[in-house]
Amino acid sequence: MPKYYVLVNILLALVVAVAGQAVAEVTPEIQLGARGVMSLNTDIKNNQTTNAVSDFSDTDLMIGFRQKMYNRFRGQLVIGFQFPDAESDLGQVFFHQTFIKIEDKSNILKIGRSRVRTSLLDFPTLRDDDALLLTTVLNPFSNGENSEDHQYGNVLEYSHIFGQRVHFQIHAEHFKESPDTLGAAETDFGLNAVGLLLQYRVPVSQRWNRQIIQSVSIGTNNFLTDRPGYSSEYCQALKNVLFGFVINLKPDPVHFWDLRSQTVYNIGFDEVKEIGDFSDLARAEAIGNYTSIRYLYRRMERPTLQVALSGGYKDFPNATQPTNLFQVAGSLFYRIGFNFDVGLQVQYKEYSGDLRTIYGKNMTRVQFSLIYSIDQLWNNQFDDRESLLNLEHGYIP
Amino acid sequence: MDRRNFLKTSVTISAASLFPAPLLTPEAIAAVPERFPKPMTPTLDGDVKEFHLSVDIIQQEIVPGFKIHTLAFNNQIPGPEIRVTRGDKIRVVFKNNTELNHTIHWHGIFVPWRMDGVPYVTQMPVMPGKQFVYEFVAEPYGTHFYHCHWGTLLHMQAGMYGSFIIEDPDDPIKKQFNYEREYTLLYSAHDVNFIRKELNAMLDRMKERMYLMKHGRFDKERFATFDTKDELIEAVNEGYQPPYVTNRRSPSELPQPNWFTVNGKSYPVTPNLLIKQGENIRVRLINAGTEEHYLHLHGHDFWQVCDDGVPVPQPWQMNTVRLSPGKTIDILIEGKNRGIWTFHDHDTRRVTNNGLYPGGNLLALVYEDTPPEEMELNPMTKKMGLTSLPVVALDE
Repeated sequence: MPKYYVLVNILLALVVAVAGQAVAEVTPEIQLGARGVMSLNTDIKNNQTTNAVSDFSDTDLMIGFRQKMYNRFRGQLVIGFQFPDAESDLGQVFFHQTFIKIEDKSNILKIGRSRVRTSLLDFPTLRDDDALLLTTVLNPFSNGENSEDHQYGNVLEYSHIFGQRVHFQIHAEHFKESPDTLGAAETDFGLNAVGLLLQYRVPVSQRWNRQIIQSVSIGTNNFLTDRPGYSSEYCQALKNVLFGFVINLKPDPVHFWDLRSQTVYNIGFDEVKEIGDFSDLARAEAIGNYTSIRYLYRRMERPTLQVALSGGYKDFPNATQPTNLFQVAGSLFYRIGFNFDVGLQVQYKEYSGDLRTIYGKNMTRVQFSLIYSIDQLWNNQFDDRESLLNLEHGYIP
Repeated sequence: MDRRNFLKTSVTISAASLFPAPLLTPEAIAAVPERFPKPMTPTLDGDVKEFHLSVDIIQQEIVPGFKIHTLAFNNQIPGPEIRVTRGDKIRVVFKNNTELNHTIHWHGIFVPWRMDGVPYVTQMPVMPGKQFVYEFVAEPYGTHFYHCHWGTLLHMQAGMYGSFIIEDPDDPIKKQFNYEREYTLLYSAHDVNFIRKELNAMLDRMKERMYLMKHGRFDKERFATFDTKDELIEAVNEGYQPPYVTNRRSPSELPQPNWFTVNGKSYPVTPNLLIKQGENIRVRLINAGTEEHYLHLHGHDFWQVCDDGVPVPQPWQMNTVRLSPGKTIDILIEGKNRGIWTFHDHDTRRVTNNGLYPGGNLLALVYEDTPPEEMELNPMTKKMGLTSLPVVALDE
């Protein structure tokens, strides 16, 4: 896909040109974000119980630098890494965020490694990938070994914001492609997916007191595959459509209730009727929904207790034998110190049809966790786009 | 170059370079009063002078190219000057148009204690959308000011202050120095990053608290408001975490001002004091900020004539006056040395804009009758495209 290469190369050249002439006089804003999620897991699978304390995936460290530019724009560099799942093949450390973002009041351009738009919503589960098969569009180029393959990629995104709440985004990505040969390195980094996203989203600072709608989103992801037997890019593309919303059930600053739901429809390839491996799983027609209801108690103007019940179902209508997935999860987080939480989560997953050959019949997982997160900012020089002052009293670039 | 051409050229250069107009053009002289707080015109209700003050969140341009969100009385910083005569009966109707709490404290004025504007001590705060009526008799004579006393550290440096002048028909200073023109200069210091962060945080908190208040769910611990000290101590003993403990909400450091204003503006758009040879002018200095200022006038001595509004028994001759937070000092300048003279803080950290010198509270005493030929630049400088002194420089 030479046209994508040209665009990416031009943008990268611009970035390199700027980086090569750094001047130290203007101190940037420095942001530090860190999250540690340590858990003791007890799994019951096929009537066998195993315990593990090796689970500290989702633990990450991010550092960001942000400055005003010569005009109304702001520029930001973010570098972040996380510790992947113990059984992944990503090594000890995975750089999940390494991007540059340029933005003004209504436009955002982002390039680099970052979260991809395979999910519209964050769900109140302990870990980001607890319900991956239900909440996330699956990367068809992955061998399924790493959940990060579906969550992060090399992205090129442009977003335009209409007013304060309507976001339109066009995005293109390079999703990780698992090499055919075990141990071989990935060599082709061309863009292999494109998508669109349209979202109505109430800014975070105004969410708690909205009567009903927090957000409504619809998006598409199209993976540019080499589908055998088809020559046009359209037919080769694996297409997914996502729809999600979050509504406030009780917008109360102390006893807050909300409900979020997301449906992912993978149009899939007609010829995939049996699911024997992860490649089939990602390419088979499927429709899945995941929904959470959450209660948040904020006693002293800070989160104190969060209880959530989540559940989802995914069906593969084109599969030869009835194949589906059911999952339910209950989670509880209690704040024991500033940004320090203790958590308990119980999940139950049940698979039928072809999925049993991959995942087994069912699995129950109980997790006890300690979580600490910080989000610190030094040399603060300007306001966020979605601060109350900028939203309600006029935007200052 | 004749005077007409000189003025014409000066105006052109001014517009092209974004600098304020040269100080002696008719436009510049006419604009000078606008840089001082305009006195408010009261309405009369019998023998009571009634003033209306409101507070809103606005955007204030401190210098060209730099704006912040601020709190402002009657949409201006500083708030309008209240100028009354000693003994007047005063009524101030204060309307809160913001989502924050406020009060007004009458600094230096002998008001009845329930009019003093200290939240939870003399009155309950004026809550969002509400109004409060302050009534008192204007005493004592002199230069005073008013300011918000809720969240004072934030609300004052965010702009909620204004001058309150109580005149006396038998003014002792006027008698002694025979002046006609006078100016009011309100000094302040601003940590604009603190203002921005705290205003956002306070707006966020207040939205929640007002929601709870509206639904009759006042919670002493959540609102951090107790009936008595004993009640607080008991709550702490039972596990309550006050906001100031380090594991709850206390900030890591106190505000560090990085902008220094006079009448809401920093150099080069600070107000200038106009004077003529042989004229006396009175300058009322008010420190509404948190920093101490050491104000020095070039080329002159001046007389300190009042301290906190009180005429000093013997005017004190000096060229640098110390203006502490909360102080008002009146000085009398005699026009004895024609020219353009800077008047600035000699703690030159306050003569900066965002750390860059010059800026801050630098302003000028300008003799209106300075001949243009005295301001001429040498030919080499003219080749640079500059016209005459004073030149506004932003990067020395």
